[in-house]
Amino acid sequence: MDNRFSNMFGLSEEECIRWLDTPMEDLKDEPGNLRYAAATHLANYPSDASVQALVRAINNTNPELDNRIVRRKAVETLGRLKSVQALPVVRGCLADEDCYTVENAVWSIGEIGTDDVDILEEVSLLLEKPKQTYRVIIHVLAKLGYKPGVARIQKFTDHEDRSIASAALTSIARLTDDRSQLDKVVEFLQDANVYARRLSIQDLVDAEHYAAIPAIAQSPVSVSFRLRGIRLLADAGVGAGKLDFAKDVEPWLDKVIADDPKDIAMVHEYDQAPTLEFLLGELYQTDFGRCYLALQTLMADHREGLAPVVMATYMDKARNDYGGHYLVMKLLGWLQYEPALELIVSEGLNNPMPQFQKSKFAAALALGDLGTPDAIASLKEGLKSPVWMVKYATLMALEKVGDRTSHETLSDDPDWVIRAKLTRLLGSARSVSTDDSATTVASAR
Amino acid sequence: MKSVITTVVTSADAAGRFPSSSDLESVQGSIQRAAARMEAAEKLGGNIDAVAKEAYDACIKKYPYLNDAGEANSTDTFKAKCHRDIKHYMRLIQYCLVVGGTGPLDEWGIAGSREVYRALNLPTPPYVEALSFARNRGCAPRDLSAQALTEYNALLDYAINSLS
Repeated sequence: MDNRFSNMFGLSEEECIRWLDTPMEDLKDEPGNLRYAAATHLANYPSDASVQALVRAINNTNPELDNRIVRRKAVETLGRLKSVQALPVVRGCLADEDCYTVENAVWSIGEIGTDDVDILEEVSLLLEKPKQTYRVIIHVLAKLGYKPGVARIQKFTDHEDRSIASAALTSIARLTDDRSQLDKVVEFLQDANVYARRLSIQDLVDAEHYAAIPAIAQSPVSVSFRLRGIRLLADAGVGAGKLDFAKDVEPWLDKVIADDPKDIAMVHEYDQAPTLEFLLGELYQTDFGRCYLALQTLMADHREGLAPVVMATYMDKARNDYGGHYLVMKLLGWLQYEPALELIVSEGLNNPMPQFQKSKFAAALALGDLGTPDAIASLKEGLKSPVWMVKYATLMALEKVGDRTSHETLSDDPDWVIRAKLTRLLGSARSVSTDDSATTVASAR
Repeated sequence: MKSVITTVVTSADAAGRFPSSSDLESVQGSIQRAAARMEAAEKLGGNIDAVAKEAYDACIKKYPYLNDAGEANSTDTFKAKCHRDIKHYMRLIQYCLVVGGTGPLDEWGIAGSREVYRALNLPTPPYVEALSFARNRGCAPRDLSAQALTEYNALLDYAINSLS
């Protein structure tokens, strides 16, 4: 579980419970949504007192928006706490009028887990009810192995919302072992809708569809989604002996970490040659398909004199925008813009803010592109990062400049992917075990 | 993209019927509120940077980023999400004002976001904080007319409700 933000609220368990129990009318002068933050933050305190406070919050049925969202979050947090004792209360929310409360209740039941057929049938029946979050319902039925739900799920395989169809197709594969429809889900990786592309990656991971790794690597979505999907499939597939790191994983991990737009299968195109100003603006789109097309066009058609222009927009826009920031780091490296060295190190590789995580590995690669002695000295700091992508990118960048003097510092790295990559680079005959199993990655040689 | 008009026509067509009186009433209601929505859309569009920045600042103030030494994954407190996301949601709200329905938010802002936030354990309180600030900040007639403010706030509430 990613816990980068787990302590952002700075609240103790007692404070959370006190806020959660405070009547709304006593909070009128209190800015913000303290009760909502408290309901969220209790996920960090697995205790009876937390569970009881969350249950009290659910039993507070004040219909005002500020309370509705607290109630709904309390349902989700009980799922995060995997509170079996709260299951009856969570189940009671399946009949709620608010579709998001129902969605959270279904999700929490999936987290808590149950084999109670009555509960599972009740969840399954929600597929007959209009305006529900069908994707989550389908996921939970598959996760909990409720085979009688297949007939109802089947009706969603042609749903106009591709993300729902994707969930249905993969869930049927999970529940019936009939994997013949999974290629349809792979096609969604190229859908015009960015959410269909993003969410189908999760579905392919859930279905352990290892053959989808190349298509995931080329899907025009943010590098974060692609890396997460490939990494989860690699953890499961290599651990189970179904994937070979060197053959099935490493080539695609390398491509995604390098993240060159030429390796992306684009879904957008321009009907006329765009201006430089337009292309720079496209770097801040939330649909990365558009960002990659702009990046590719910038490098192909506007390379001359581009670096100073990019730097000029940096302080104004990229500094506050983790998507644009990442792409700017890449551009500065590809353009080998040495005046940006300090910025790439301080605001890229060493950026402490969690939402700029991908900028860190983009910066590592950019330092490798610069290739100067100063850049290489700074780059080696990337080997000390706690984030596997940063270490992996740093190894790739150091390889590019032909410096292996620090590789061995990672020889006992806790992450099997880093050890496997290192072993491949150093060409030794060591074998590597995944974190989650004792299976030897025979290919890591 | 769904709007009141496309929803009415699509469901009538699916049933092979003419739009009913209540269908037409809902379309009429949407048209009657169009002037207020356009006013809100114009004001929001013209001030999007300032509105988004104020909302962003409010959420950063609420959840201050403390300069603990260390890297991502290890430090205690961080600002959660940046200006980018707030501006994105404000833009979708402006589209909704233009469309006269929640289609843009539903299709581009909410459908997959809830799942992504939950799967990645990303905190939603900063969004709620920022959007709540924007809702409480708007003032009629100083910023826009009372009707336009009602349309704008309704969409902010819709976004808060759907993302939380």
